[in-house]
Amino acid sequence: MADMYVFETTTLLEQLDQILMKTESESSFGEEEINEIFRTMHTIKGSSAMMGLDNMSKLAHAVEDMFYIIREDHPEINSMETLYDLVFTASDLMKAEIELIQEDDYSPTDFSGQIARIEEFAAVLKNGEKAAAKQPEAAKPAASAAQPSVSGTSVKVTFEENCKMENLRALLVINRIKEICSALEYTPSDIEDNSDTADIIIKNGFDIVFTPAQGQTDDSVIDAIKDCPNVKSCEISGKGQAAPAADGDSTAVRIYFEDDCKMENLRALLVVNRVREVCESVSYEPADIEDNSDTAKYIIENGFILRFKSDKPDMVLRVIEDAPSVKEYEVISRPSGAKSGNAAENNTAPAETPKAAAPAPKAAPAAPQPQTGSRPAPQPAGKAPSGGAKQSLISVNLNKLDTLLDLVGEIVITEAMVTSNPDLKGLRLDNFQKSARQLRKLNSELQDTVMSIRMVPLSGAFSKMTRIVRDMKVKLGKDVDLVFEGEETEVDKSVIDQLNDPLMHMVRNSMDHGIEDSAEDRINAGKPAKGKITLSAYNASGEVIIVVADDGQGIDPTKVLAKAEKNGILTKPASEYSEKEILNMIMLPGFSTNEQVTEYSGRGVGMDVVRKNIEKIGGTVSVDSKKGQGTSFIIKIPLSLSIVDGMEVSVGDSIFTIPINAIRESFKAKPEQLVKDTDGKEMVMIRGECFPLIRLYDIYDLKPGTEDLYEGIVILAEGDGKCACLFADELIGEQQVVVKPFSPLLNNYNVKQHGMAGCSILGDGSITIILDVNNIISDF
Amino acid sequence: MEANNTANKNFSAEDIEVLFFTIDGTIYGIEIKYVNEIIGIEQITVVPKIPEHIKGVINIRGKVVPVISVRKRFGIEEIPYDDRTCIIVLEFDGGEQVGIIVDRVREVIVVNHNEISRTPDAKNVNSNHYIKSIVNLESGIRLLLDCEKLVRDS
Repeated sequence: MADMYVFETTTLLEQLDQILMKTESESSFGEEEINEIFRTMHTIKGSSAMMGLDNMSKLAHAVEDMFYIIREDHPEINSMETLYDLVFTASDLMKAEIELIQEDDYSPTDFSGQIARIEEFAAVLKNGEKAAAKQPEAAKPAASAAQPSVSGTSVKVTFEENCKMENLRALLVINRIKEICSALEYTPSDIEDNSDTADIIIKNGFDIVFTPAQGQTDDSVIDAIKDCPNVKSCEISGKGQAAPAADGDSTAVRIYFEDDCKMENLRALLVVNRVREVCESVSYEPADIEDNSDTAKYIIENGFILRFKSDKPDMVLRVIEDAPSVKEYEVISRPSGAKSGNAAENNTAPAETPKAAAPAPKAAPAAPQPQTGSRPAPQPAGKAPSGGAKQSLISVNLNKLDTLLDLVGEIVITEAMVTSNPDLKGLRLDNFQKSARQLRKLNSELQDTVMSIRMVPLSGAFSKMTRIVRDMKVKLGKDVDLVFEGEETEVDKSVIDQLNDPLMHMVRNSMDHGIEDSAEDRINAGKPAKGKITLSAYNASGEVIIVVADDGQGIDPTKVLAKAEKNGILTKPASEYSEKEILNMIMLPGFSTNEQVTEYSGRGVGMDVVRKNIEKIGGTVSVDSKKGQGTSFIIKIPLSLSIVDGMEVSVGDSIFTIPINAIRESFKAKPEQLVKDTDGKEMVMIRGECFPLIRLYDIYDLKPGTEDLYEGIVILAEGDGKCACLFADELIGEQQVVVKPFSPLLNNYNVKQHGMAGCSILGDGSITIILDVNNIISDF
Repeated sequence: MEANNTANKNFSAEDIEVLFFTIDGTIYGIEIKYVNEIIGIEQITVVPKIPEHIKGVINIRGKVVPVISVRKRFGIEEIPYDDRTCIIVLEFDGGEQVGIIVDRVREVIVVNHNEISRTPDAKNVNSNHYIKSIVNLESGIRLLLDCEKLVRDS
């Protein structure tokens, strides 16, 4: 339950961030986006309340309210930044809270400060809406949508054309009727101070909502208004408060929950929330289920009464029936009489597919747009592809996938055990071989499928960076574009989990150290004022390469060297370091060239952590930088960690596995191919090209089966863009092996550096060591 | 520290169970809480470029476990393995397993905490490095090894 909640809410919050990011870059809210944000918050509110997380639920509620105003009233939002800030902060707070919930000693955080800020802004939005007055649709009863605190009769006053200073004339009207009204409110409200309101009044008229004082009637007030100078007309646009949903129009249902399901009031709330998604004007009894837990008892005894209006009551009833813990329900009353709804339906459902929610027949006050679509409903076809979050997906516990992968690994080993069983040696087994081949084919398909299940596109990890860049842009005052390339490249899920932190550190580094502090610096250097950070990914020979590049000031090797010397991390005289070595020093522990420690970087742990994390997943990081032109961090990670197609070779008693994708060819060398340089270093000439010869027994101090180059086998292997010939006793065969990492004890001795990537168990139970050609070539 | 695994046995919490084995005629003990299992000598796969006392890796039911020669660790000359040579598989916190090769395994004895005394502070004695404490039993004085140091320190 809690897991589900955490997962769901995290996903929702991530979606929210994506929407916000998208709208922020387009600097406009589409209706679709507003609805989406509204829905997201609504769902979080509901499920948080269900989990008893009041603080989360209230915060979500505040945001939801704010977007309700935005959605219903379309106010002009003056300060987009504040709005984004509020929502981003709220989303951050919720994310942090989700993290906390997963800890044992959880105590709810107090969000009241943020809630107050949001409410304040929402209030501003609301008033702004009044100031900006409304288009013809403002003719709708003011008492409903705008919800002024005064309930009463509303009138629209227009003034004679060209009478000038309409705002002051309006003020005059207000002053006149002030005495004969017990309550009074008007839009625009700042007529006294703001002369711009004159234009608004000319365009939209001047709205007044009043309640006549004792002894006065609506008509007498309206007459008073009409008597005012320059008033052209005064029309009544609404009378009294909009009546509450008339029972005659709605369906009432009594709901009972399963015995002992606990927290009936919150379950009821859940039902209400679900019903709200598919129809409008929902009312219920008891009304205070959200705040009053005593209502649970009442619900148990008397049932929960829900009234709703919908032109498809059957569908709503189905929603009620499907809601969790609902035991039974009875329909108490059906709508009476014919509905005026169908006529209204066509113009109220502009975008939704007919199947999505039932657009309820509009009661007069509602704004002309459907409330929401029911969530799992198909998206309208025209929707932007970025909304890819909703596909036919299921979420599976990663542990199960890990187990599945382990099992497949075992099957691969066992298959080899069976098919190359020593008992079968020397037997003629045509049918057996045929079946074995079939088995192998299926196994490899199974394995591919399992691997592909675990593959996740990098776009998720990348898009998290947008958020970081956005925040830092604001804080550091640097203008930067973040560009993605090849974000659809897929890597194993276990790899991606380890990738988030390093990516974050690198992007932060690029923002903080890489991009110049001021736009002038950039312009002086002949670069566009706006900085650029590029995140790109692509596949290359069994590896995924991810590059984080910025077009900033680059790294100054002399500075790095000086700093390294100061910090005492040099191991040889400074003059002996190559530029590449110097650049890579920034990834040593305790190194940071920034003079000042900022919130984002400069503690000298960042790049060190990056390197460690990447190495943990079997990858490598390197730095490339040109002073004044920019810096790139190049991460190479294996596509998948677990199963490798390998060629087994023997060297003396040992068996090594060379990954097939690193092998170019294998052959028996001929005497004329062998070349020796002046140091006696051996090289092999292949089709006119010379490659260094690496004798495996030599580099690993093993007793070889043969030292004779022409007797053993030469394997031309490629790694890191370079090629070399490896010399072994003989080829044993090709096999898929499951990579098992070395135990920490052996890792202490840098076995990876010496070209050993891991080990694996062969069909006969013996162990083979998997070679890492890259490291062999660069190390020996 | 000693109290961990012994709470519900019928001896006091300060007592520890010790597995004794011999190396080159000398009897050493290790705390049983580290011991996962004892197996006969197996085919050891050599891993290049690691210190000499780590003989390589073995396959224990699908797990690749490194094995250490205690003789080599103590600087004693190695002898050919025979049918009494054993690998004691130790398991550390976090599930890391390491095998140690010993000449022969003797018995498990419950040692009263009164019988345990600390080692003299004499770091210049080479093998003292791996010794955790000294146990004074009726049958004689035994050395208790520090498994962590035996395996980890280089």
